[in-house]
Amino acid sequence: MNGQSLPLSFKVERLAIHVVLLCLSVATVFPLVWMVTSAFTPNELITAKAIRLWPEQPTVSNFAIAAARHPIWMWLWNSILTSSLITFGKLVLALPAGYAFGRMEFPGRNFLFWLVVATMSFPSVLAIIPTYIAVVKVQAFDTYGAMIIPSIPYIGFYVFYFRQAFRSLQGSMFEAARMDGADVWRQFWEIAVPNVIPAIAALSVISFMGAWNIYLWGQLVLEDTFKKTLTTGIAAFADLDGAEILWGPLMATSLLSVTPVLVLFLLAQRFIVDALAPGLDEK
Amino acid sequence: MNRPNFRRTTRLLAPYLFVGPAVLAVLIFLYGPIAGSAALSLLDWNLLSSDINFVGAANYAAMFSNADFQLSAWNTLAYCAILIPAQIVIPLVLAVMLHSVSGSRMGTVYRGMLFLPTILAFSVAGVAWSWLLNPVNGLFNEVLTAFGLPRSRWHTDPDLALLCVSLITFWKTFGLNMLLWLAALANVPHSLREASRLDGASRWQYFRDIELPMITPTAFFISVTTLFHILDDIVGVIDVLTHGGPAGRSSSILYFLWQQGMQFFQFGQASAVAMIIIVVVLSVTWMQFRIGEKRVHYG
Repeated sequence: MNGQSLPLSFKVERLAIHVVLLCLSVATVFPLVWMVTSAFTPNELITAKAIRLWPEQPTVSNFAIAAARHPIWMWLWNSILTSSLITFGKLVLALPAGYAFGRMEFPGRNFLFWLVVATMSFPSVLAIIPTYIAVVKVQAFDTYGAMIIPSIPYIGFYVFYFRQAFRSLQGSMFEAARMDGADVWRQFWEIAVPNVIPAIAALSVISFMGAWNIYLWGQLVLEDTFKKTLTTGIAAFADLDGAEILWGPLMATSLLSVTPVLVLFLLAQRFIVDALAPGLDEK
Repeated sequence: MNRPNFRRTTRLLAPYLFVGPAVLAVLIFLYGPIAGSAALSLLDWNLLSSDINFVGAANYAAMFSNADFQLSAWNTLAYCAILIPAQIVIPLVLAVMLHSVSGSRMGTVYRGMLFLPTILAFSVAGVAWSWLLNPVNGLFNEVLTAFGLPRSRWHTDPDLALLCVSLITFWKTFGLNMLLWLAALANVPHSLREASRLDGASRWQYFRDIELPMITPTAFFISVTTLFHILDDIVGVIDVLTHGGPAGRSSSILYFLWQQGMQFFQFGQASAVAMIIIVVVLSVTWMQFRIGEKRVHYG
């Protein structure tokens, strides 16, 4: 055996791993493939025959039926609007906080840091009841604000992550800026932020995908059918039609709600994987 | 105003201006509601009525003697017994396999496919699965029939509902832990694998003696966060698939809270449940930190 070729057992092991992973990957995406197939199958044919891998008589009529019964394009716009604003809000809160925790010395730093980061471990359902009462009391029920504002403060992971990113920057850049008389704000905005743009991009994608999929809270505070997001609209859709669920249009709407996050994920896949790694180096 | 003094003051204040909004946001929107729950748990009140009565521990007493609460508490233990080991071990095995093919194009494809369910909304996952599991004409039953097996009622069968919810919760969420494990494995220097192979170590020995000790910080992180994620995620799946049924057999303690609060408007009852959950979660976390500190290797 020379150094170039790998031993046979190793090749067999690799092949076996490929086979196992391929089977598991296919099994994992199967429910979604089936959703896509159903979305393009005429509604009358969906319940007729369960086993099919490709739509018979492919059609987009399900989208038309869904759009006729529900304001799905409005839902799409609402999803885009609320997800963008939630993401923006998270960045506005978490970036400066991460910077201060990572690069500034001040009394109470560790306490405040853990106060913020500990919220990573709060099940979100716990805060729902008092928050709901507050939303009703300030008469914000069924507004975009009620959907957006209480969703922003879940920033534990973001602050933790940005602290790591700012910490890993070279101190000499900040020294030089200080020599030039840059104040703390300019050091943050002109030196630190431009150097963590990959981190900002990765967390924006993660936040956007998370906000897009907010379900329980949205279902609770959004009642007006024109204010719903796609993911909450789908639930209304299924309930509204009761026993006679129109599976085709439902699948079409589900597909519509998946597509933006799917595209975003495929574009940013590498980014997201890298983004999740460095934050874990220390406790 | 005295210029140097002003600059000194801004420098001292600056950090608080930077962290202030974030700290205020979590205090108001996350710690605030928990303090609110603590207060509500001692009151008899629903949003519709104007009278609020102080009832002390009555909500807690009522909760513990509530049969639905007891059932959902047992169910939650069952969910944890199934999902915690599954959510830790299976993603690790997948990550080890993915890591060993990480150079190849197919490696990226597998990773993307396996992670896909994680990016879905619970409502979408629920729609996809309720269609597959549909007792009347769902695909799973068609397959069973094709093999001459009896049909199943899946999530509408009292004995299978909890397992169905577990399976779907697992499907929907294992991707995150898988990516975290994968990231940790990617940080293990590649030279160590070469060295151990030259020393004649098996794949298993390499994993046990080199990789595993080096990924303990991630193991610690995952072990702490998995519990909360599971508790939270099950609620989403239950809400779209079973609504806790049939007869409460798939309900969990957080879903019980959700129903008491948001369907029956029993805020006092629901808040008492919230307090119990907080106490349990904090104790478990505290224990994990105590155990974790002794075991974790920081490189």
